[in-house]
Amino acid sequence: MDISTQFAAQGYGAAKPVTEPQEGQSLATATQQFADVLQQGEEAAMKAVTTGTDPHALVEALAQSELAVQTAAAVRDKVVGAYQEILRMPV
Amino acid sequence: MTDLSDSLALAASGMRAQAARLRLVSENMANMDTPGFRRKTAAFEQVMNSATTSGLVKQGDVRLDKSQLPKIFDPAHPMSDAGGYYEGSNVNLIVEMADAREAQRSYEANLKMFEQTRKMSSAVLDILRR
Repeated sequence: MDISTQFAAQGYGAAKPVTEPQEGQSLATATQQFADVLQQGEEAAMKAVTTGTDPHALVEALAQSELAVQTAAAVRDKVVGAYQEILRMPV
Repeated sequence: MTDLSDSLALAASGMRAQAARLRLVSENMANMDTPGFRRKTAAFEQVMNSATTSGLVKQGDVRLDKSQLPKIFDPAHPMSDAGGYYEGSNVNLIVEMADAREAQRSYEANLKMFEQTRKMSSAVLDILRR
């Protein structure tokens, strides 16, 4: 029990620098990038329907936005789950 | 994540280039019997992004096949000259078929890359959901 908690603390300490935001990368820019990808997807879909651009651009843009939405949803679930875990802690 | 989304863009550019190639092939095939038609070819080239290669591919300028047009003997043809010959097209059906098949295979390869990139990115996000 004692060993495992020590390992967990060590592992967390080792993994922490990876998740730290790098120079010039804040949550705001990440959110902006997410919004940009979604907007590109919407624009490609609109163009494909109205002017008939090539389907490759449409498929690529939609796949990119699918990837972005999946990432955002997974991160949100994880963050909300962590908060719930803290709230469930017996005081 | 940027590598995976880059792969998506690269695979899409490959598919786009192969589709453009198939378009030229079908143009050549359609004009196989057009008198005086020269076969159209185009080489692929890399997309330059401010003097650095982005890795994307695109179709280059369309060129005409300079080889000799075949002389076909048909005095009844309206375009035949005094000797009864007219110039046909230099499209070779076998070459066009092979080119079309190659375009199809390359397209499939790019499609597989696209699918695999999507699968990999979904798989790595599945870890977060557990």
